[in-house]
Formats: sequence, structure tokens, C-alpha cells
Amino acid sequence: MPLILVGLNHRTAPVDVRERLSISEPRLGETTLELRGLDGVDGAAVLSTCNRVEVIVSTRDEDVIAHIVEWLATRASTVRAELEKHLYIVRHGDVVQHLFRVASGLDSMIVGEPQIGGQVRSSFAVAHELGTLDSLLTQLYENTMRVAKKVRTDTGIGEHAVSVPYAAVELAKKIFGDLRGLHVLLLGAGEMGELTAEHLHAQNVKQVFVANRSYERAVELARQFDGTAVNFDGIEEQLAQSDIVIASTAAPHYLVEPQHVTRALEARRNRNLFLIDLSVPRNINPAVGRVDGAYLYNVDDLQQVADANRDKRLQKAAQAEQIVAREVDGFRKRLVAQDAVPTILELQQRLEAIRSGELEKCLRRMGPITAEQRSAIETFSTQLVNKILHYPILQLKESSDEPQERESLRRTIRKIFGLR
Amino acid sequence: MFQFTDFIYVALAAYALGTVTALASLFVRSKRLQHAGLISMIAGFVAHTIWIGTICTRTGHPPITNLPETASFIAWTVFAVELGLWIRYRVYAAVFFVYPLVLILLTLSAVVGENLRALDPGLRSNIFTTHLLLSTVGVAGLLIGLAFSLLAVLQDRALKNKTRGRLWELIPSLDVCRTVSQRALAIGFTIYTVGLLAGVLWSYRTDAGFMEMRVKQTGAVVAWILFAILLQSYVTNTYRRKRTIFISAGAFVAIAVAIVGIRG
Repeated sequence: MPLILVGLNHRTAPVDVRERLSISEPRLGETTLELRGLDGVDGAAVLSTCNRVEVIVSTRDEDVIAHIVEWLATRASTVRAELEKHLYIVRHGDVVQHLFRVASGLDSMIVGEPQIGGQVRSSFAVAHELGTLDSLLTQLYENTMRVAKKVRTDTGIGEHAVSVPYAAVELAKKIFGDLRGLHVLLLGAGEMGELTAEHLHAQNVKQVFVANRSYERAVELARQFDGTAVNFDGIEEQLAQSDIVIASTAAPHYLVEPQHVTRALEARRNRNLFLIDLSVPRNINPAVGRVDGAYLYNVDDLQQVADANRDKRLQKAAQAEQIVAREVDGFRKRLVAQDAVPTILELQQRLEAIRSGELEKCLRRMGPITAEQRSAIETFSTQLVNKILHYPILQLKESSDEPQERESLRRTIRKIFGLR
Repeated sequence: MFQFTDFIYVALAAYALGTVTALASLFVRSKRLQHAGLISMIAGFVAHTIWIGTICTRTGHPPITNLPETASFIAWTVFAVELGLWIRYRVYAAVFFVYPLVLILLTLSAVVGENLRALDPGLRSNIFTTHLLLSTVGVAGLLIGLAFSLLAVLQDRALKNKTRGRLWELIPSLDVCRTVSQRALAIGFTIYTVGLLAGVLWSYRTDAGFMEMRVKQTGAVVAWILFAILLQSYVTNTYRRKRTIFISAGAFVAIAVAIVGIRG
């Protein structure tokens, strides 16, 4: 398996190094072609995300690593020694494991994040379109995408929100299902509230209302969400029109009381109301949570949801690692066996030639024999050859995925059996 | 020798396997187990359909004239509706209530196991057949409505208490649970009402004991009243968790009494 991967990621390199190597999507094709053009490279692909840049090549020449590092250093406008501090080099079977883990989100900053699968897919798709993938990299690509899908489907690793704003979105979906057509009321201009509103806006909610003590700031924020600024004193009326309320003000007292919510629910004909209190001190009276049809979550509640999800993801990551290990082993065995096929065929032909030659000589010497006797001798010779071949073939099929070791074994077997 | 009527046992075995597998998937979170449960239930449904078809062919009337037939037909309809909802909404959590219900109803049918026979001449009437068919289909709709109403209650509780039970991930949003529940109750209630009216009309015409309120009739009428209250709370948006739980439980018991009372 002559594979080499050279790269850096959020764990090995600071952002200023990553950004110098980062490749924008429009330039990915051109960069992949450049990589393919390096001496000794048989097949090439480039993966570039905000947290990692990795080049994957198939080659029979280990010296290619030096060319790649040099090329990367030139691209990053730095000296090779400086860049090498941040680089990792992965070889052969470990490349398969690394890629399977990366595409499954197991090597990501936020374990299980779903975007990485798509990014790996588009990187390989670009290389495939440009014809820079050889058969080995094509197989690796197909298997990587299959394993990533299997990991996500079998473990559900990316299903849960691990940040407070996403946890709020997840809960809103548990209440309303589809968030399209909903109205959101943002009270105050706190950073977390703004972020949560932004996530909800991204879910195509119908309208975002913004109320703030400073009306100008409300107008400014509302513009950000294509929303509407409303008067801070009119929030009680606004409650009746809103499905989700995010409170994130600096007010030192409750702005929303149970009676406000009860009246709002009556006006809403008891359609559910989701209230998110991100302020400290709290802006929504906790008693609101006891009103039927009102669901109140404060910042600690949401943090607990996010933490529980993070723990769940880590548990699922352990399951995912097992899937990856099994798949790496299967892929490695398939490739090694595939690689050994020509030698095995030659070996079988060589021994079959010896067997049939010697069998003919033996039969001539024996003189007339019955058909049953001839068949018994033929069976004996075939079985003998099969037994002799059994272990050499097994060794070839199960040899190491390290190409030099495998080549050495192949040479030894060829020498012993007198193959050219 | 295996006969067509033995398909009820094939269906029963497949439903039992499907139910156990589905319940096991509650503890061992595995999509494969969930799929295996569903496949087993579908296999049971196919055998069940063959059995129902056999009854129709042999007796010349829908399989709803006695307790085993009615229980079996309700089970069949409930599963058919559940399958349709699963395809539409992918709501897996409902299976934890629906599969055992289907299994219990078919077990009841197999245990009571009356012989197949043609309808008494006195019962051969289009109005009577309409009454039986609509009441049975209506009950199936109402039971599905109850199952989703229960899911809505569980989801509401989990959201209010901020605790996630084993079903959290399997239950869809509160809105979906309530919408499906309301639609199933509305459709089931309408069909059930027309079925009851057809029964009243048939009794009136045949003088077969119009006002005779035996267990079956009492259960049916009480269930109708409780379902009407439940539906009213959905329609007018005066839904309350505790009240819903009590009314749903009462409606379920009344329906069970009406079904078992068919024998009487």
C-alpha cells in the first residue's frame, strides 16, 4: 500500500500557519494538479478545511515526501525546517485509518461535526474530475466515503448539538418540528442571544423581532436578521405573536412574568411558547416554566443539554473507532491480497507446470494402468502441490501493508520457487 | 397439515418476534435491531392479511362478526395505519405502544379462536356490515390517536422537566405528535360515530334491542363521549396534560370493554 499523507491540523499548527497553507475551493484543482506534477507522485488529492490541510499521494518512492514538504514550504512562504515542526507524515496503512477517522469526524475539533465528510468528498471529487486519482486512491476515496457514512448512520455521532445556541435550536425543533414559519422575539442585545437568534434565522424562521432598550441598536440588530425592531415597552403584546423568545438583556430584574405568558398563550390559542433565558441575572421568572404550554430553559439548562450531548458524542466516538478499525483491517487485507495476485498466479502456473511434467514422466515409466489408478495419482499430485503452495500464498495475502517488507517477501518467494 | 387458517399463528409468531425485537432496541440502541423488528412486523402483517383474506373468501363477509375476527381486524388496521405514519413521519417511538397492542389483539383473537362461520341470516344486512366495518376502522384510528397522544404527553413531560428518557431521541417533535394525534382522533372519531349511528339504525330497523345497553354498547358510548372530550380539547386548544392523561386512559379502557364485550 504505497500511500503517503503529509499535513497539519488544529492540533499541530497555529492558525497563522494553517491560514498560509489553506487552499480556497476555486484553487483546489490547480493545487491538486501541481501536487500530481511532483516527481514520484502516481496519484494525488488535497484536502483543505479551516482546521486542516492534508495532501495524499500514492507513490512507490518514499523520497517524494521531501518534495512534498519543500512544495508545501514554498506555498506557505516559509522555510522547510520551520514548516516541518507542524507537519505530520502518515504512511501506508495508517493513511487509510487517518482518512477514515477524518471523514467520520473523529479527528475534528468538535468530535462528530458533520461538515468534514462533505469537505473530504469534494476534495476527492475535484481530484477525480482532474484525473489525478490512480486506482489505489480511487479505492481509498470510495471506501473513505462509505465508512464515513456507515459511522454516521450506525452511531448517530453528529446528531446532537454541542454548543448552547445549537442546543436551543435542537430544543426548538423538539417542540415545533419544522422551524419555518415561526416568529422569534429577541429581547436585548447580549452576545449569546444574538448568536442564538442567528442560528434560528439560519433555520429559515419566518420573522425575527428585536426589542432593546436602545431602539437604534434594535434596528441595527434587526437588519442583521432581516427582522423588525419593536418597542421594548411593547414586549407583552409581542409575546403573543412569538413562538420563540430569547431573553438576553442586562436588566437586573424579571421582564417576563407568568401572567404575561398565560395571557400570551390565551391569545395564541395555547400554541406552545419556547422561552430561552440567556441573561444573568435572569430576565424570565422561573415560575413561567410551570405554565402549561410554556417551555423555559435558562443558560445552565442549555449548557447541560450541550454537555450531555458532548458526552454522548464521546461515547459514540468509541463505537465509531471500532467500526473504523474493522474497516481499515478489511480494506488493508483486500489491497494486500489484490497486490499479491500476479505473484500468486505465477506461482501456481509454475508449480502446475512442474506437476504436469513430472506426472507425465511418472506415468510413462509406470506403463499401462487403469483409469482409476491414473485419477488417484493425478489427485495425489494436485493435492501435494496445493499443500506446498498453501503457506506461501497465505503469506503473500496476509503480508504487511508496508510496501518494502512486502516486496522483500515477494522476492524471497520468487527466488525459492525459481520465478523470473 | 398447514392450512390457510393457520396463517394467524404465523402472523402471531412474527408479531411476537417483531415486538420483542422492537422493545429490545429500546435498551440496545441499534438501528439494525429496529429494522429487524419492523421487517418481522411486516412479515406478520403479510401473514395476517392472508388470514383475513381467507376469512373473507370463506365466509363471504368482512372478518368483523365476532370477537376474534374484530380484534384481529382492529390489529390489522392499527398496524396498517402505523406503517403509513412510519413511512410519512418516520416516527419510531410509536412502535413501543402500537406493536404490543397489535400483538395483544391478535393473541386475544387466536386464544378465543372461534370457528369460521357464515353470518346468521338475521345479521346479513348492508347496514350491519357498515356498522361493524366503520366502528372497527374508527376504533383503529382512535387507538393510533391515543398512542400519539401518549407520545405527546411523554415529550411534554421531558421538555418541562428537562430530563431525557430513553424515548427522547425516538419521539418526534411535540407539534408532530399532537398533529398526528389530532388528525387520527378526528378521522377515527368521525368514522366511529358514523359506525355507531349505523348500528343504532340497524338495531332500530331489526328491533334487535335498540336501547338495550349491555357491556358492549355501554363501553362504546362511554368511549365515544371521552373521545369527544379529548378531541374537543385539541380543536379548541384547551389541551392540558393531566386531563389528557386521565381522559385517554378512560377512553382506552372503555374501548377495551367494548371490544371484549363483543362476545356478550
